[in-house]
Amino acid sequence: MEIGLRLAVSLAQIAAVMGVVMLTVMVLTLAERKVLGWMQDRMGPMEVGPYGVLQPIADGLKLFFKEDIIPAGANKFLFTLAPILALVPAMIGFAVIPFGPSLTIELFGMQIKPFVISDINIGILYILAFASIGAYGIILGGWSSNSKYSLLGGLRSAAQVISYELNVGLAIVGVILLSGSLSLVKITEAQAGGFWNWFVIAMPFPQIFAFVVYVISSVAETNRVPFDLPEAESELVAGFFTEYSGMRFAFFFIAEYANMILVSCVAAALFLGGWNAPYPGTILGHIGLDSLAWIENVVWFAAKVYFFLFLFFWLRATLPRLRYDQLMRFGWKVMLPIALGNIVLTAIAAYFFPR
Amino acid sequence: MNVAVTTQPKRKPSFSDWLKTLTFYELLVGMKATLTHLLNYKPITLQYPHEKRLLPDNYRGMLALLRYDDGTEKCVGCDLCEAACPSRVIRVVSGEVPGEPTKRYSKEYYMDMTRCLFCGLCVDACPVDALGMTREFEWAVYDKRQLHLNKQQLLAIGDRSFPVREKRLELQHPNVAFFNVTFKHLPQKEN
Repeated sequence: MEIGLRLAVSLAQIAAVMGVVMLTVMVLTLAERKVLGWMQDRMGPMEVGPYGVLQPIADGLKLFFKEDIIPAGANKFLFTLAPILALVPAMIGFAVIPFGPSLTIELFGMQIKPFVISDINIGILYILAFASIGAYGIILGGWSSNSKYSLLGGLRSAAQVISYELNVGLAIVGVILLSGSLSLVKITEAQAGGFWNWFVIAMPFPQIFAFVVYVISSVAETNRVPFDLPEAESELVAGFFTEYSGMRFAFFFIAEYANMILVSCVAAALFLGGWNAPYPGTILGHIGLDSLAWIENVVWFAAKVYFFLFLFFWLRATLPRLRYDQLMRFGWKVMLPIALGNIVLTAIAAYFFPR
Repeated sequence: MNVAVTTQPKRKPSFSDWLKTLTFYELLVGMKATLTHLLNYKPITLQYPHEKRLLPDNYRGMLALLRYDDGTEKCVGCDLCEAACPSRVIRVVSGEVPGEPTKRYSKEYYMDMTRCLFCGLCVDACPVDALGMTREFEWAVYDKRQLHLNKQQLLAIGDRSFPVREKRLELQHPNVAFFNVTFKHLPQKEN
């Protein structure tokens, strides 16, 4: 009974988070086209619904009803497996993201944390581990399609994701040194009490370099412009998902956007204080509405995440694609030394000025 | 012309260059440009099927055969349009007007619009202004055989695009070009 109830509550939490994430993906597919259009003096989609707001639904229906093609000579098992391997790690990372304050409520005699599905003590490591598995989906999808464009896209993606994942991991180490925990809940709580406590500018050693390295590397890791070499449409048709159609294509597509949301959530939680407001406490808490303060916190978290998502679109509208050797040189010769130097300096600072 | 090829001597990067590289200055300039366009959003898009742009006066659209104001066809079957056409769109079968051996007309008149490049040379070549270029351009069809037009179709296009018709030539000012027209005030040739 007890375990059944706990399971039901967990499933409800998972369903709620998944629903919000899928809804955000839908919004993002439209928002990206709209923002890109506005930045390029265009209108974006305008046909479906007023101002094209129903475009994601039309796209989803179209992809759902499209013929599912498996190319001749493709490895059927891996071809089917790859989209799932890409989508599941992107979704599963949200399990440890704290969306709001870490309050505990009593429900049917159980302790429930409503704003995080599971507060495990290795949260950020868990996200990094599953992000690495996501690379397998891309590589296997490229390899099993039996197409030269897919294979080239998969190969590029393999090299790119692995080298930039290293930088993401090393950039995060500074934050972990300062907060002394791998749990995203604890890291977020360590940044409470105003924007001067956010790790991006927090004493003893501001993680501004780590922040820049993290943002650039996460753009590269999600295969977004200007690091979209795995799916460079002017060179490789569509890269690793050239041969995919219908729902399998939709899986890759959703995985890309879910990954964007995930890295934005992690960036917000690690560097910009997560659900903490940039001033001490919350306004709703100060005026005596303590039970509603979580709304303000969730709104701040959403605002930070959407800022990063807007940054993704903004970069896409502005920057041209890097050449492959430039990409690799930038990753290994610029980002990696900066991240390593940041770790050394942060370690020294954290040793002499313990928080 | 003597063009001196000068190569920029490689100068030592100054402090400001170094600072610009470090702060992603060039990227920020580009991102400022896109943000400015986002904030001063003035789209140049025309939502085509719903709103259409104004066509210029000399727009060269679909070809059409014209009539005089009494409903008779202008075309005299002279084949000059066929000769002028660079892509051999037009085929004219000329014939005598029954009962009037001095007059000719086009018994059949075909246009293969799949080949037409809308140069307007046939319109220029026509001595009686029997051809006109309308402002129609939405001629996408599912079957390209629908673009092989015969005389009736071309006349119908002319009827709907040029509702105001010219008078017959002999009723117009005598200075206008004449061709295949009997002038009542001039004595007929005897033969």
